[in-house]
Amino acid sequence: MKIFKKIFDYARPKFEEGGPLEKFYAVFEATDTIFFSTDKVTESGPHIRDSIDIKRVMVLVVAALIPLYVFGAINIGFQAGLSKGFNYGWWNNLITGFKIILPVFLVTFAAGAFWEILFALIRKHEINEGFFVTCSLIPLIMPPTIPLWQVAVATSFGVVIGKEIFGGIGMNIFNPALVARAFIFFAYPGKISGDKVWIGGVEGYSGATALAIPAGQTDANAVSLLGNFSQFDFSWWNMFLGWVPGSIGETSKVLIIAGALFLVITKIANYRVMAGAILGLIITALLTNLMAPFSSNTMLNLPPHYHLVMGGFLFAVAFMVTEPVTGAHTDRGRWIYGFLIGFLTVVIRSINPAYPEGTMLAILMMNAFAPLIDWFMVRRDIKNRISRYAQ
Amino acid sequence: MATIKIKKGHNIQITGRPENEITAGPPLTVFGLNPHEFRSIKPKLLVKIGDRVKIGSPLFFDKLQPSIKWPSPAGGTIKQIQFGPRRIIEKIVITRADEESTLKFESFKPLEISSLGREKILEIIINGNLWPLIRQRPFNKLANPLDKPRDIFISGWNTAPLAVNLDLALRGKLVQFQAGIDALRQLTEGKVHLSIEENTVSEILNVKGVEINRFKGPHPAGNVGIQIHHINPLRPREIIWVIEAQQITTLGQFLLSGEFDPALIAAVGGPGVINPTHIKARIGACLGDLLNNNIKSGSQRIISGDVLTGLTSSLTGHLGFYDSTVSVLPEGGMREFLGMVWPGSSQNRYSLTNAFLKFKNIIYSFNTLANGTERAIVPINAWENVLPMDIMPNALYRAILAKDIEEMEQLGIYECDPEDFALCTFACPSKIDVGGAVQTGLNLMEKEG
Repeated sequence: MKIFKKIFDYARPKFEEGGPLEKFYAVFEATDTIFFSTDKVTESGPHIRDSIDIKRVMVLVVAALIPLYVFGAINIGFQAGLSKGFNYGWWNNLITGFKIILPVFLVTFAAGAFWEILFALIRKHEINEGFFVTCSLIPLIMPPTIPLWQVAVATSFGVVIGKEIFGGIGMNIFNPALVARAFIFFAYPGKISGDKVWIGGVEGYSGATALAIPAGQTDANAVSLLGNFSQFDFSWWNMFLGWVPGSIGETSKVLIIAGALFLVITKIANYRVMAGAILGLIITALLTNLMAPFSSNTMLNLPPHYHLVMGGFLFAVAFMVTEPVTGAHTDRGRWIYGFLIGFLTVVIRSINPAYPEGTMLAILMMNAFAPLIDWFMVRRDIKNRISRYAQ
Repeated sequence: MATIKIKKGHNIQITGRPENEITAGPPLTVFGLNPHEFRSIKPKLLVKIGDRVKIGSPLFFDKLQPSIKWPSPAGGTIKQIQFGPRRIIEKIVITRADEESTLKFESFKPLEISSLGREKILEIIINGNLWPLIRQRPFNKLANPLDKPRDIFISGWNTAPLAVNLDLALRGKLVQFQAGIDALRQLTEGKVHLSIEENTVSEILNVKGVEINRFKGPHPAGNVGIQIHHINPLRPREIIWVIEAQQITTLGQFLLSGEFDPALIAAVGGPGVINPTHIKARIGACLGDLLNNNIKSGSQRIISGDVLTGLTSSLTGHLGFYDSTVSVLPEGGMREFLGMVWPGSSQNRYSLTNAFLKFKNIIYSFNTLANGTERAIVPINAWENVLPMDIMPNALYRAILAKDIEEMEQLGIYECDPEDFALCTFACPSKIDVGGAVQTGLNLMEKEG
């Protein structure tokens, strides 16, 4: 600890005004305040401040993601073994998965940090810790077979177009991690379209995702189709526990729910958006179930509790929908925002035959509409105030 | 009347809470008035260095309303007049003489006060140089005697951290308090509202001629702005007058005796104070006198007012005209190694979120660390959870940044005062000064509206 202090004290003058590296002060400041909490004091009243800051908020979100990385690694190894017909054991599974995740993670961070620092230096603002979260989310929503160059390009696109051109975290309209994924989704659909599964470490192996199975058959019962599928175990419990192929972090619903609870309890995430989204999904799925007898579309008879554990919906609800900046900012608006995401997810999954998974598109769409929802909530508040004044 | 329950807000658990007793306190030798602390006035001096003044003698007046003058809180000599940039008068310092004399005005019997009439009362207060005691909402500035206020509001309950216990401060002063209320009643055609804590059994409950409102809940429930909002909100183009509870006794005493008595009970507290307590003080008392031998060693920030809304001062500074609290906070603190990663504990972290481990509610020893640097808004409801008003702070903040006057008015900025938003700033993870922004918005409204 003292050695770090010495290093920073030694380096500080070089980065401060007049020093040879003054252009890179933002980099120094960011590293310095990661190691030591800031010594900045309040300038005027309030003279005292809460201990929370954005760094802590972001660190807690990353902390909630760590179990998903560990499980994701184990699951990659497990699926790779399964495709060859044997089980390597927990430890080897972890190592196998780790070898696949680490390069993706490093490439994401390198690309993300590069753009964040570049923009901070050019625009002369502090480096925003928000990129930790963005870069921790991106690997989790990538398939394990993703080529690293695609990760780099997608991360760059997500960070620059999704965030920096709007002015950085806090000013962005779309969730940068989802923008990155959407970029691959549309630019290189072969790797990530949502109907084929990806097994890491196994060349040429493919199968259908859980969502693609009922989407690909007409006039069948979705649940029994999943139950009879022989290549993977797509039973409800197994999908809930997460031993199915999928993007790196999205499979274990247990750990996702634990992470979501952690964020709600620490008061970082708002339960309203989560509850709204789940409610929206359940109600819409029940409606499609009612319509099912009149259509040959198998997806329509998929029950809501299956919708919940399939695809990336729960992961997105816990970590993407709750992103406070791109969502609605009013409490009532948050319910509507969440509900419509759940609604759109089912609509895209069940009614649009082109895309088996719809969560990502639903969220990006609602990101665009969140300010409109807020606008209506603010008008409502104004109207209420005027009528109160009239009393 | 039913109790008004305030749910949102927070009582900050800070060390150095003043003991519930009044000590005589150290002798007061120097006094001062800071003309620039009064909003929207143009002060012009009536005294010069070396002049002898009595208690209550006018020190300066407002060029915009020349009849309004400010009283001297002490009898003695003008020792110093400090000018700031562009020759604004920063402060007027008076050294107290051994034998103080007081400027004498007409006195009244308690029963006479109720029948004086509005014009006569205004004349007495203005001529007695005590008009500055009365402020108005919106804008929290000096009241204009030509206005007819809808109501007059008084908060009889302080909820701000380390603030004066008004039950204690007003004990034994019912006669003066009643006299002050009798005068105020005639200044409005509306009501005089007195708000108190739900379970108070204070003797000021026996006061007649006021509407008593009971409140319950955490800070800022004791702020007069919050009380107005819940009792009868301020509409655009309405004016409400407010006055500090202790200054009602000052006003009453003046009417009864014809003499200005600047005495008040002040609270001295905070983590940097050795013996936090209530002491006998005066308007404009020197903070160095009030804190005589009562500050812990090390670098300390001396604040006139409470830790949320007070102004940074120094030992040579003076108690603000409307302040009755002196707070002392240790300046700065340790830079914690990897502070953002560790779980934290109740000993070294204080947060309204649960982002740090907390097993019990410890009274926390705050310092002036900001605990972060400014960021863009990340709306995790930190502001909304501590603002017990039907106001959308996020939307209002944006309207202020956009200088959208119409939108600000529609969002209810007239009801707002920076002090009610101080907790929002306290809780904000992005370290945004919400109260400061509200002040900017109000300044804009005052100029353009």
